[in-house]
Amino acid sequence: MHARLRVRRPARQWLWAGLAVIGLLCPGMPTQAWDSERMMLAAKRISPRAVAGAQALQPVLTQALDMNEAAQLQAVNAFFNRRILFRDDTEVWGQVDYWASPLETLDKGAGDCEDYAIAKYFSLLAVGMPVSKLRLVYVRAQIGGPQGALVAHMVLAYYAAPGAEPLILDNLITELRPASRRPDLVPVFSFNSEGLWQGVGPQAAGGDPTARLSRWREVLAKARAEGFQ
Amino acid sequence: MSLIRQIWLLMLGTVLLAFAGSVTVAVESARGYLQTQLRLKNADNATSLALALSQQKGDKELMALLMSAQFDTGFYRRIRFTGADGSVGFVRETQATPTSAPTWFISLAPIESEPGVAQVSDGWRALGKVEVVSHTYFAYDELWAGSLRSAFALAVVGLIAGGVGTLVVRRIRKPLDSTVEQAHALVAGEFRTVPEPRVPELQRLTRAMNTMVSRLRVTFQAQAEQLDTLHKQASCDRLTGLSNRAHFLGQLTASLQREDGTAEGGLVLLRVLDLAGVNRNLGHAAADRVIVTIAQALRPYSERAKGCFLGRLNGSDFALCLPVPNVARETAQALSDALSVLLPSLGSGVAVGLGAVELRRDMTPGQVMSAADAALARAESRGPFAVELGSEPANSVAMLGEGAWRQRIREALVQGRVHLVNFPVVNARRELIHLECPLRLQLEEQGAFEPAARWLPLAVRSRLTVDVDERALALALAEAGSDGQARCVNLSPASLTDSGFAARLRALLWDSPRIARLIWLEVAEIAAVEHFDLLQELSRQLRPTGVHLGIEHAGERLGLIPRLFEAGLDYVKLDAAVIDGVGSDEHRLTFVHGTVTLLHGLSLQVYAEGVSNEIDAKALWDCGIDGATGPWISAQQGAQPAP
Repeated sequence: MHARLRVRRPARQWLWAGLAVIGLLCPGMPTQAWDSERMMLAAKRISPRAVAGAQALQPVLTQALDMNEAAQLQAVNAFFNRRILFRDDTEVWGQVDYWASPLETLDKGAGDCEDYAIAKYFSLLAVGMPVSKLRLVYVRAQIGGPQGALVAHMVLAYYAAPGAEPLILDNLITELRPASRRPDLVPVFSFNSEGLWQGVGPQAAGGDPTARLSRWREVLAKARAEGFQ
Repeated sequence: MSLIRQIWLLMLGTVLLAFAGSVTVAVESARGYLQTQLRLKNADNATSLALALSQQKGDKELMALLMSAQFDTGFYRRIRFTGADGSVGFVRETQATPTSAPTWFISLAPIESEPGVAQVSDGWRALGKVEVVSHTYFAYDELWAGSLRSAFALAVVGLIAGGVGTLVVRRIRKPLDSTVEQAHALVAGEFRTVPEPRVPELQRLTRAMNTMVSRLRVTFQAQAEQLDTLHKQASCDRLTGLSNRAHFLGQLTASLQREDGTAEGGLVLLRVLDLAGVNRNLGHAAADRVIVTIAQALRPYSERAKGCFLGRLNGSDFALCLPVPNVARETAQALSDALSVLLPSLGSGVAVGLGAVELRRDMTPGQVMSAADAALARAESRGPFAVELGSEPANSVAMLGEGAWRQRIREALVQGRVHLVNFPVVNARRELIHLECPLRLQLEEQGAFEPAARWLPLAVRSRLTVDVDERALALALAEAGSDGQARCVNLSPASLTDSGFAARLRALLWDSPRIARLIWLEVAEIAAVEHFDLLQELSRQLRPTGVHLGIEHAGERLGLIPRLFEAGLDYVKLDAAVIDGVGSDEHRLTFVHGTVTLLHGLSLQVYAEGVSNEIDAKALWDCGIDGATGPWISAQQGAQPAP
């Protein structure tokens, strides 16, 4: 699939036709929820590094389509933890706090906690994860053991069932662990994009002035423009 | 659709469209803004509430209390908490609160209150989500009040724009109207100039039209002058400039035949005694001087007294026709006295003889001339500067005093002792154009109906012409109404000077607007020359009623009224004196032909009066004349006896 994505236009139509046939043959399979062409176009507008990032991400997402949820979590978590370096927003963006979209993070190759969480969140949604199972969580983290420093941090939590104990996708501890095995984290508040787009058409995000009003909405709008969701 | 109406509609449409468009845009943008504000408020409140709920460690009672407290502020339509398993844990909802905005407005511009949603958790445990929906009634109130305000403001702006537009349209309309009116007038044969407007396009148009009109004027003026020359050649004696024999006799005939001609008057014949001898003894030049001196002595009479005319009948004979009875003898005597002083100084033996006669309407020109000749013969036999009077005419009604005349005319009018006589005016195919209808009054009970010649001068003096003319028009209207025949009424020149005249005629004509189109009104040429402005005013007032307006007894002074084409007339009737003998006189024919051509060029119809024989009639038809009347025509038509 990796190699096939690079083929030129006429062949690409065959690719889509092939995918459609596979979709028909395997009805239980989760469907693709991202627009790869749009993603590539958005990446081209940003920089060649963003294009390289997107080209690296797309095969991972395509492969993850066929996986179960646990494997999807593993794949996405590992991809971003490996590819993105942890850097402060002041270093990367010159701002105290900046919420970057997945492609922006891939372009810089660096980001802080929420950039990891956001990139993982949208990637998982892209491979068909239901939005109700994912939450971005503000946590208080204690770094470096029981006497370590306390910092504000953000992680992505996965709820296999409503009310169940979540799995935590984090960049401090790259391994996937259930919440009970993360005593260093104290959750404060959680959110996701559920209900946020109610009453708004799928294309409206880019032109909606209110989308720019909060960081979260701004990121949602940017991610949409980049072909996620 | 007229241009002005189109501009009006365009302006109205633009203002209305601008109004509707701006109100819609204003309402729509206010609605969008309010909707956005509501959504943000919902989202913010949901997040705050979720934050607070997440701190309650999953205590359902505390959470319910918090949500109730939030809901009871009254700004919310609904607050709902949904558990992680999808069950509704808490819900508070109110029905819509009435607003000041009307329901049609709400359904036309609905405001959506999008729910704000936020996640609630207890530590790592996801509890569910909270949904907050604010009320929209205050937004509707705000939107309604704002819409009313902006509609009012835009309506004011629209009205101002409309007002300014109206002024501009008026400014355009005035010159446009005057140009259009000028064009209409041109079509009607009325060549007038109008002031140039300031609007450049119209200014150019008006300038072009004005230039054309003035060029036409020059052309017509030139033609009129040529005609004048022709007329002089045709009717004047070359040496003295007085009328020649034919023309004088034509004038005499016309004045005796016309309904409003001379009823009674006098004629003086003057002869240079032995002109051949004078020629022989004193030379040709001296004889000419004698002739010119006599002409100069005679001319003041015709210049000063209206209706007085004179002519040089042949080498030695002069004739002077006086419009007033019982002055012929005194006039002849005065002339004799004056000439007896002047002539001897030119040479010895130069003398004149004078014969005078009183003339009456029932005499023929032949009778008048032979009576005058007889008197002159008697005077000649008595020697130089003798004056002889012809036989005394019978006593006339004119002997009555002015008061008595006034009384009689008024009584005849009041008692209805009036009637119209009809003389046909026909075209070349012998089709009736209209009936010329002079008014006749029965001055004495049981007496004869008298023509205007008998009573008009006295009516003028008694200032009764307006009543007479009004009565004539009323009669003509009644008769035309009953038989559908076009009728022509002549108006007295004296009536024109009465300020209420036009209005009275107008009122009469408006009373029967359909019959008014059958009515032809005419005034004598002399009135057109002397009261041109009054005639023009009369034309302006009466023409809208549909009447035809024209000039009668025309010919002598046509060259003097170059503005004839500005008067807005329909036709001209050429005087009998001008057309008499046209069939046998080359000069007259040329003059009449030129006149007809000129008047046709001015879009005027031309008719001939007093046609008395077939030769003249044929010549006139050949000239292209539009119609003719006169004794011969009447006889041909087998209608009324000749006037």
